Amino acid sequence: MDRSVGTPATDSRGMKHPGPLFTLLAGVLLAAGIAVANAVTGSPPPVNTAGGAPAPAASSTAAPTSTAATSTTKAPEAPARADYAGHVDGGGASVAVSVRDGHAIAYVCDGKKTEAWLQGATAAGRLDLKDAKGGSLVGGYDAAAVTGTVAAGGKTWHFTARPVTKPAGLYRATPKVKGKPARVGWIVLPDGSQVGILTADESTAAPALDPAARTATVDGSPVTAESISGLSGEGDF
Amino acid sequence: MTAPTSKRTNTALLVPLVIGAVVAVALGVYGNLHSPTGVAVNIAGFSSTQAVKAWLATVAVLFAVVQLLSALAMYGKFGNAPAWVGPLHRWSGRLAFLVSVPVAMHCLYALGFQSFDTRVLVHSLLGCFFYGAFVCKMLVLRHDDAPGWVLPVVGGAVFTGLVGLWLSASLWFFTKSGLTF
Repeated sequence: MDRSVGTPATDSRGMKHPGPLFTLLAGVLLAAGIAVANAVTGSPPPVNTAGGAPAPAASSTAAPTSTAATSTTKAPEAPARADYAGHVDGGGASVAVSVRDGHAIAYVCDGKKTEAWLQGATAAGRLDLKDAKGGSLVGGYDAAAVTGTVAAGGKTWHFTARPVTKPAGLYRATPKVKGKPARVGWIVLPDGSQVGILTADESTAAPALDPAARTATVDGSPVTAESISGLSGEGDF
Repeated sequence: MTAPTSKRTNTALLVPLVIGAVVAVALGVYGNLHSPTGVAVNIAGFSSTQAVKAWLATVAVLFAVVQLLSALAMYGKFGNAPAWVGPLHRWSGRLAFLVSVPVAMHCLYALGFQSFDTRVLVHSLLGCFFYGAFVCKMLVLRHDDAPGWVLPVVGGAVFTGLVGLWLSASLWFFTKSGLTF
């Protein structure tokens, strides 16, 4: 291309062939323009990095305003039914979210001690889920991903999780341990790995779940796990 | 002019390579550190963000094919190249690059660098590689005294990167969702 032009090979490299630099500059400017547009109109989930429980009233009123103000922005398509599962940022825990017809249930679990089951109503792709112990999950979802912030057991994580289909997803069981009712939650990830917590008197890592057969052995007895899926409509929310 | 490549030329060529590498790594680090928002600005008229991205990337790949053919023509692989091949190569490249930018911005801003399965990991790595290679290519263009093999190699890397990106996302999307707009 330019090299075929018979310019003498002087060493004045500075002003030679400015075309490629203009190309790069145009790309950078375009990217900057999109970044500004994203910052102004793209309504990210109300991320609360300050820690503690996000104020639900503030987030649920702020989100619709910013969406409504951007008429050129298409609202992210929020599926009526979907299941998501993935790791939190940093990989310290896993999170699964199931959405079904205006309701959502989420489970976050570090596979050791910290876990939370969170529930709530959904509206226009927004999630504002809670449990009885002060845990919360605030975020948004569309056909491509669910993203947001989840707080449980004194920890706060950001996360993005992709849609999953069985056998990946969320599972729950209510076995008996030493005669007392216990509870197990599992998240099975698309790569087949799983994390779970068994809560009896205290919380420990859950025994392995066979996602195909939906069985596990708890305290020496076989238990059947229930699939919690918005997509297939299984499990109580 | 095409005297044996001097040591100085080789050193000078390190600069585009290093800058390209820095760009690739910086994109990966940003994609990893930035908390993905899940949403970003969208183009009206398409059914979903994914569809927009898949089609923009397809346009970019079509321009990239023009790039490959015009580059072959410039190197005389189809006989004497007409004068318009150079401008065709430059402008198809610019358009391919510019069309790819909104796609990449959505990837970076809304999704981030991800590794939850092989396809996604490959796509994330290729995305960083592609823009690093592209920056390197643009900077190498300014070195008239570079050895003859440098431009084809760097250009080939850019082309391979873009095609890999398309295969690992657009083609995947089309096989999953059909040819939807």
